Amino acid sequence: MRLLEANRLQTARFRPLLAKELAEIMSGRALWTMLLLVCPLVGYSFVQAVSLYSEASAAALQSPAAATSLSPLDGILVPTFGSFYVAVTLLFPFVAIRVLGHEKESGSLHLLIQLPYRPSKIIVTKLAAVLAAWAFVSIPALSVLGIWVLLGGHLAPLETLNLVSGHVLYGLLVGSIALFSTTISDSAATAAIIALAATIGSLVLDFTLAGRSGWLAWIAELSLTQTLRTFEQGLLSVGLVFGISAVICGLGALSTVWLPSGTSMRGKCARSALCVLVTIVALGVATQIGRSFDLSEDRRNSFLSADQQLLATLRLPLVVTINLAREDPRYIDFKRNVLSKLERAMPNVSVVVSGSRQDFAGKSDAYGQIEYVYDNRTDMSRSTSSREVLPLLYALAGVQPPAAAQGVEYPGYPLVVNADATLFWFFGGLPLLIAFAWWRSRHPPAVNLVAFKGGQS
Amino acid sequence: MTSANFNAISDQPFVELLRADDLSKSYGDETAIANVSFSVAAGEILGIVGPNGAGKTTLLEVLAGLIASDSGNVLWRGETLPAPRRKEAMFYMPDGIRPYQDRFALDVVSFFSSVYRRSQAVISNTIAAVELAPVLRKRVSALSKGYNRRLLLAIGLLTPQDVLLMDEPFDGFDIRQSRNIIQVLRRSAAGGRTLILAIHQLADAERVCDRFLLLAGGKVRGIGTLRELRTQTALPEGSLEDIFLALT
Repeated sequence: MRLLEANRLQTARFRPLLAKELAEIMSGRALWTMLLLVCPLVGYSFVQAVSLYSEASAAALQSPAAATSLSPLDGILVPTFGSFYVAVTLLFPFVAIRVLGHEKESGSLHLLIQLPYRPSKIIVTKLAAVLAAWAFVSIPALSVLGIWVLLGGHLAPLETLNLVSGHVLYGLLVGSIALFSTTISDSAATAAIIALAATIGSLVLDFTLAGRSGWLAWIAELSLTQTLRTFEQGLLSVGLVFGISAVICGLGALSTVWLPSGTSMRGKCARSALCVLVTIVALGVATQIGRSFDLSEDRRNSFLSADQQLLATLRLPLVVTINLAREDPRYIDFKRNVLSKLERAMPNVSVVVSGSRQDFAGKSDAYGQIEYVYDNRTDMSRSTSSREVLPLLYALAGVQPPAAAQGVEYPGYPLVVNADATLFWFFGGLPLLIAFAWWRSRHPPAVNLVAFKGGQS
Repeated sequence: MTSANFNAISDQPFVELLRADDLSKSYGDETAIANVSFSVAAGEILGIVGPNGAGKTTLLEVLAGLIASDSGNVLWRGETLPAPRRKEAMFYMPDGIRPYQDRFALDVVSFFSSVYRRSQAVISNTIAAVELAPVLRKRVSALSKGYNRRLLLAIGLLTPQDVLLMDEPFDGFDIRQSRNIIQVLRRSAAGGRTLILAIHQLADAERVCDRFLLLAGGKVRGIGTLRELRTQTALPEGSLEDIFLALT
């Protein structure tokens, strides 16, 4: 079939489309409005965080032992980026919806889908624009990093990069939800309702189901907010990154299916079912990937390196039966201090939680016991501290505990500083710069009108 | 299907470029188009003529592959052209859209030009032809209805597909402007491009089109040149309006 070569899908250039998408999202007011709103939100959070950190530091300066608990990741970065997370959850869907919603409402989508681009290429370009928009609205949050260093604060590059990466993934996840909701909606308002139902629903889910057990705990795990928790702990989980990427790709694929209007509803539903199936399989695979990297400077997610190395050699299955309810603070303590580290250090750990709420009320004597089975040997403990659990495990495995560590301990980074002056940046300087940039972006392009008057018509 | 064996305007042999074969589309119980068949030749201007609600827009959107037809085929030079590949052969310019309202008119023109790698000379000629230059530095949202229509026309003319489908291309133009645009479209067709125009203003259609497809209630009521339609309706001096009323 002889068709026009210039309009073949293979020959279309990507650059004009990307430039158009970026210009489109930059010309929308939603992006600039969000950027302006993020400035005071992030600025206030940062100043509050620095204030609290300084108070804790003042006490820690009297006691070096207390200083080791002062980490800028927990004290400054997580709360400051936490406010940015709230802004992304509540406002970013409106920005992301624009990348398609505006074209749908104005009828431009009819033109776009006729251009020599595959729908998948259009969606990938739109996701790239969403990512660029995220980078743009994150300017206030990213400026915090520079300000903190200028104030004399410490930043660990790896854990900081890990935290920012987590927020990038979260932003893309919210953006892909918004994009998909726009492809299936007739109007931007409907798309906003769907996207906000997902993001705010997650937020509510996180609050209401926190610490619950059973299927409620499983539902709570589905919250989008959970994606950030691991990064905030300085942990880079390969499975989590793979899982989030799978969901983003799945939503992108669904958007691709629903973008073209010339396909029958039956065809779209069949392809959507396939996309959902593949995404579920990918998520299943992600849950099986246990590999993770502790990027926190204080190595909070790992035992001492000598213990890590020795535990890695214990290759037989370890079964830990915990007679504690999931809501019990001891369970939470045990999970954070021992269990999560054990699961990372040992190749084969199985966990059974046998406690219930009734036991929590004190009706059972066995409540609180934790049973360890390794190499057909069993031991019992009520301790939730690694100092007692690790020797117990070494005894079960019949190995000598490693010699006491001679390494350098995490020193902590106390800093007493007043950050009130930075409010001028977040409430004045940065918003003024943004307003100026917006004003500049509203200027019409330079055109040589004479060139168009001399055309041969 | 009715089609002439010769192009009545130029007396050139009718070489079929595109053929719609038995196209039907319904929305629930409502039939938008029913068993529509016709063909067009290269360089021809075919007018799809009918009142509001006749099914003109649906027919164009089905042709362009933007909505799925319930039945029927579109053939390109005798071979079936599946919906996802229609955009390689034709470009559809809808009615009543304002493309990329927050962007400047020049940005919109530049975008389509760069996608299709149009030369600066082609861009300049197109802008000059549709007299768009005075508003290039205006935002699309600020354009008058007429200039927005000129922008759409410019985009359509910048696309390289062999067939250009346009919905109500004269909507928003006064008589003088319509005459100018007719000249522009005629020049485009003379260059070998096929135009399929959905028009509800019969006078405009009569001035610009080589052949007419009369559509009412989603069904083809007549197809042919004005001369053929006059013969068909036994109205030797009848205008397109008289013929349309006679056939519907």
